[in-house]
Amino acid sequence: MSSELLTKLSECVEFGKINLASPYPPQMKGLPGADEITKEALESGVTPGEILNDALISAMNKVGQKFSENKIFVPQMLLSAKAMGASMIHLKPFFANGSVQRKGVFILGTVFGDLHDIGKNLFGMMVEGAGWEVIDLGIDVKIEKFVEAVKQNPTAVVGISALLTTTMVNMKPVIEAIKAISPDTKVIVGGAPLSSDFAAQIGADGYGKNPQEGIVWLDKLTA
Amino acid sequence: MSNFINQILQSEKTLAFPIMTHPGIEALGKTVREAVSDGEIHYQAIKYISEHFDTIACTSIMDLTVEAEAFGAIINLPEHEVPSVTGRLVNDLKSVGSLEVPTLDKGRIPQYLLANKLAAENIRSKPVFSGCIGPFSLAGRLYDMSEILMDIYIEPDVVNQLLEKCTEFLVNYCRALKATGTTGVIIAEPAAGLLSDDDCMMYSTVFVKQIVDAVQDDNFTVILHNCGNTGHCTNAMIASGARALHFGNAINMEDVLKQCPENVVVIGNLNPVGVFKQGTESSVRKATQKLMTETAGYKNFVISSGCDLPPFVPEENIRVFLETVKSNNV
Repeated sequence: MSSELLTKLSECVEFGKINLASPYPPQMKGLPGADEITKEALESGVTPGEILNDALISAMNKVGQKFSENKIFVPQMLLSAKAMGASMIHLKPFFANGSVQRKGVFILGTVFGDLHDIGKNLFGMMVEGAGWEVIDLGIDVKIEKFVEAVKQNPTAVVGISALLTTTMVNMKPVIEAIKAISPDTKVIVGGAPLSSDFAAQIGADGYGKNPQEGIVWLDKLTA
Repeated sequence: MSNFINQILQSEKTLAFPIMTHPGIEALGKTVREAVSDGEIHYQAIKYISEHFDTIACTSIMDLTVEAEAFGAIINLPEHEVPSVTGRLVNDLKSVGSLEVPTLDKGRIPQYLLANKLAAENIRSKPVFSGCIGPFSLAGRLYDMSEILMDIYIEPDVVNQLLEKCTEFLVNYCRALKATGTTGVIIAEPAAGLLSDDDCMMYSTVFVKQIVDAVQDDNFTVILHNCGNTGHCTNAMIASGARALHFGNAINMEDVLKQCPENVVVIGNLNPVGVFKQGTESSVRKATQKLMTETAGYKNFVISSGCDLPPFVPEENIRVFLETVKSNNV
């Protein structure tokens, strides 16, 4: 029973079936989604850890892989992330009371001066789906806000996003400020105009060309 | 076949058409905010480009907010960066239903029409291209990009209604741009590159084609720009009927040229940031030569930047690019 529910939940997340009301994907129309199946699974005794590790993380891993292979595109990825979010709502109490452990804390924000959020949001959802707790600082995030978040979460990894050529240069002072108070904190950067060379130049530890690359880099930190 | 397209297809040389206005704005000592707000300054920037760089044509500013602003969206206007849309104007069937298609006197539209008119009237040395946003990219700015990407599946009727209103406005706007006397329009539709080919066809191409059908003729060429296409939605771009297609740096130009019909002009795609802005003279020369070698033999190819050059690109890098094109043509 639990295995069947976990398989169903994994499929809901992989194919973006959020809840019963959602018409997407067409082949699952009228069927329960990640919301209802997670609830059912918890009520039938499936542990939150099993839900997270055996359904959500594995499903989002498949989603990331398919995206990097151009088998699915951003809309499908967003719907998968939304389905994962609908499941995750039911797991929040277990994260809060410590009965389920996540891989770590990931602080995320779009650098100051930059108001773009689609890449940041997409990556944040993928990171959460990979088993991390995500603290999203939002857009136009000042240096002080990043530093304060690192002080409050000293073991966290930091992700900084930028879409503009004029704001990508703002990443360097953010990284310098973070490293000044916490030299061991790892920082990954991403965004359309960036490159791995640029990431290295500004002192970032990692660069994600796409969400899946970022997830692979993060997973190496916990391996 | 339009005159502009004919000129390219009959040329024995590879022609250069980088998309740029910022070098002009900077040379005039003006800010981006001033240029996107004042048609006269905007025109002067285009004029500077036309006079100082040996390109096949010049363009107006690629500003992907002026149309959304006309609809009522809130715009962030930084001093030295292109503007961006903030917040969400519509979010459901009701708000989309009551959204009015704006007239062409709203926001900065009159200033853009003025810049195009002045450029078309006064720049005689080369063609001037107008610019506008594509329907899906505009709808995404009004509805929130993440939300519209999901709602093409969850609320397709709402998205289609919004796309119809965006297209109605863009048809009117492109007709007015055409009336200024420019040679054509570059329709920038980057958000459609986030879609699969089928979805791009359904939620972008169908609507872009309405604009193309309304304005394209022998004297007015539509260039469809989609820098989000990594090779997955080229068929949808071709199906728009635009006589020229402009590609971003994420795509392989050789593959594109094999895929596109010979009578469609294919334009692209040196990285505007990695090559033009961050590159050295040596790396610009190398990247330009490499692309020209890869695309040699395709008469429908025009070498360009993969997108609008961002602010503060070293002018020397642009000159090296143009000199390299010229010397490789000999």
